[in-house]
Amino acid sequence: MEKLAEPDRELVSRILQEVAFGERIVGYQVRERSGPMAKSLYSFTEVCAFLHDQFPVLAFEELTRWLKVVMRDEELALKVAEAVEQGHSDYERTRRIGEMMEERLTQCKNARGSKA
Amino acid sequence: MNGYMGEILRVDLTRGRITTIPTSRYEAWVGGHGMGSAIFFDLVKDKTIDGFDPANVVTIMTSPLCGTLVPAGAGRTEVQGIGVQSYPIGWFTRSNFGGRFSTMLKQAGWDGIVIEGRAERPVWIDIRNRIVQIRDCRSLALWGMDTRSCQERIWSYVCGTGAFGDWLRPDGDEGGQTTQRPAVLTIGPAGENLSRVACLIHDAANSSGQGGFGAVWGSKKLKAISVIGTGSINVHDPQGLMQARLRQTKQYAFDLNNRKRKPLGTVFDAFPRPVTLWGKPPGSQRPSEGQRPQGCVGCHAGCRGRYASGIGNEAHCAGTAFYSEASSLDIQRRSSDLLNRYGVNAFEAWRGLEYLRALNKAGILGPGKKIDFPLTFKNFGSYEFVEQFIKMIAFRNDGHGHKSQAADDLGEGFVRAAKKWGRLEGEEGDLKTGLLNFPYWGMPNHYEARTELEWGYGSILGDRDINEHCFNTIFWDVLLCRFLGGKPSATAEETVRIYTDKMIPFAGDRLMMDYGTENMYSVHIAKLVAWHRHYTRFWKQSALLCDFRWPDFVNPYAPDKVGSSGESEPAFFNAVTGRHFTFLDGMDLGRRIWNLDQAIWTLQGRHRDMVHFADYVYEVPYGGPSFMPSRVNGQWDYVNISGRSIDKGKFEEFKSRFYLLEGWDPDTGYPSRGTLQSLNLGTVADELEKNNKLGKG
Repeated sequence: MEKLAEPDRELVSRILQEVAFGERIVGYQVRERSGPMAKSLYSFTEVCAFLHDQFPVLAFEELTRWLKVVMRDEELALKVAEAVEQGHSDYERTRRIGEMMEERLTQCKNARGSKA
Repeated sequence: MNGYMGEILRVDLTRGRITTIPTSRYEAWVGGHGMGSAIFFDLVKDKTIDGFDPANVVTIMTSPLCGTLVPAGAGRTEVQGIGVQSYPIGWFTRSNFGGRFSTMLKQAGWDGIVIEGRAERPVWIDIRNRIVQIRDCRSLALWGMDTRSCQERIWSYVCGTGAFGDWLRPDGDEGGQTTQRPAVLTIGPAGENLSRVACLIHDAANSSGQGGFGAVWGSKKLKAISVIGTGSINVHDPQGLMQARLRQTKQYAFDLNNRKRKPLGTVFDAFPRPVTLWGKPPGSQRPSEGQRPQGCVGCHAGCRGRYASGIGNEAHCAGTAFYSEASSLDIQRRSSDLLNRYGVNAFEAWRGLEYLRALNKAGILGPGKKIDFPLTFKNFGSYEFVEQFIKMIAFRNDGHGHKSQAADDLGEGFVRAAKKWGRLEGEEGDLKTGLLNFPYWGMPNHYEARTELEWGYGSILGDRDINEHCFNTIFWDVLLCRFLGGKPSATAEETVRIYTDKMIPFAGDRLMMDYGTENMYSVHIAKLVAWHRHYTRFWKQSALLCDFRWPDFVNPYAPDKVGSSGESEPAFFNAVTGRHFTFLDGMDLGRRIWNLDQAIWTLQGRHRDMVHFADYVYEVPYGGPSFMPSRVNGQWDYVNISGRSIDKGKFEEFKSRFYLLEGWDPDTGYPSRGTLQSLNLGTVADELEKNNKLGKG
């Protein structure tokens, strides 16, 4: 799959920052026996970690909206929408989205590192 | 009747007096919860007392099946009394834990323990077969110890310096001998400091969590009960029991060489494995060190693990879901240990921490904030953070030994703390928005009340988060298949048929399993809830079958996927006891026990007007996943029932249907004389009448 374009400085900043309380995104951490638990996620980094959980449930439409509106990352939002469209199971979709978000996170960390 | 030891131990801590109750006096209730409720009813004259009142009675009961070979039915212990955790008042409640305590208690010659009064200074109870002593904690310096140190200290005291595996004569040279160590049930600092979310802990991680019984023990100045026995349990038909077990495990249990469905933790055919919910924080791995399975007495499929390092030993379920944000797996495992060592309820800590973090992110809570809170969330994810947090709950200070009002508030439980902080008031109150995700009786959310109806309705019509997984298997089976791909163990139609065929006395009413929005307030759902209340009250909480393995509804190893429930429960029961008990007898007795409990709650002050969820359950749609059986154009399917809330008015109508089905007064929820007399509970009706709380009808 095509790599994500390098993020500009503003996007790097947004991706690596926490969001305001009202801009958090809520996922459901589904763990055997303990039930689906609402979990507030306060940053791009936390969303990435959440997607590596055992059984993460995040409404894909809501995630796409969050990336577009809160992170203002149009490119990633589009790719996430494509992954949702093309996936065969939610597991596959979640893993693919997690990989792309990790890629974006790494880009941003590298950009921040090289600037430092 | 076999399976009994003949006597229940009665310990009056106020007078330091030890007496006994003949088990036969309560045999009609069989054991566990039924016996506990009946004993509580008889001994606690004023049911309106607070859980911290010395007159509160705590029962710790076994069943005839404990300590036998009944698979997933021999290792539980039932705890009851007036709790201190629920809100707005502490209901008469129950909890339950696994391990080897009930077996050891019976091997020492006792069917249960009744704790009354309050000791003058901290004590522990030392049971060695028939020798029972109330001992001062000072000589062993037990008060102040965490649960693990306390147990180790008692083991050393009772067993001396011998190595593990050495023979021990616990009651002197003339008594029997054993290689076992005492089974100890104890509280940690949380209980000593009257934290309302304090647990009782046995061995590494068997926890009697809900109800705050750790704090009740703390108020009674009771640190621990240690029991060691060398006796055996009389089984009516040992060969029949062995054959029943072999048949059950051969026909209905897992086959590791022939796995027939995705791994589910709450079915009879689940295979043995530690069911840990530890996450995978980036950079960490699942435990890779040496480990071995561990299970309760008699279990064919243990669900815990012991590890070479000892970190996280026996932890499972919510105790391992807590602090999934830890920066490493090692920290998460140690977090589980912290809960157990300090004796803190995992669910409260887990969901409560999510709430505190939200308040912190909103700029409301933290050092120097509106809610001045000594925990620095910059360290969130570290071991230092979680250790301080658990200590705050357990010691009710800032976690470093200094006074803190906010930390003291945490010891009241999160709903009471939120109330003190003014967070429950107004249209944006945290129970209105759902920021505080505690839907029933001030207890944290578990399975979703807005979708898993028997769970939510059963909890609010009872006294606690029911934590009974009988129907919850459907949620998991379908959700796993939706997520991972593949097909559930049974079609929706098969599931509905298999389940409802077994739901005696309502068998055959297929609509009991229609979780759709159109049906969610119907009399059919009232039957579902009633069946669940009656089944669990007897078979799970009185006969003490394990919640994680029973009932056995859909079973892919069984002919036509029809599990063993309905036949196996009474088969095991009768092999042990020698009675001719039917499945329906158990359901009827479950109904009798449920009615007795409702009478106790009524005497405590319950009225139907009190029976309502937190506001958010009515006002905020559920946004998570849930697929349950429902009808679509007349055909059964697994339907997405996410996105709904509970209609308050319709739920009130549902309550009336439920009360009428149970034979209770729909205007008040009070049990009626007619119903109670039909259940041979006439004296209970008399007591209700004396207190002007007898229902009409």
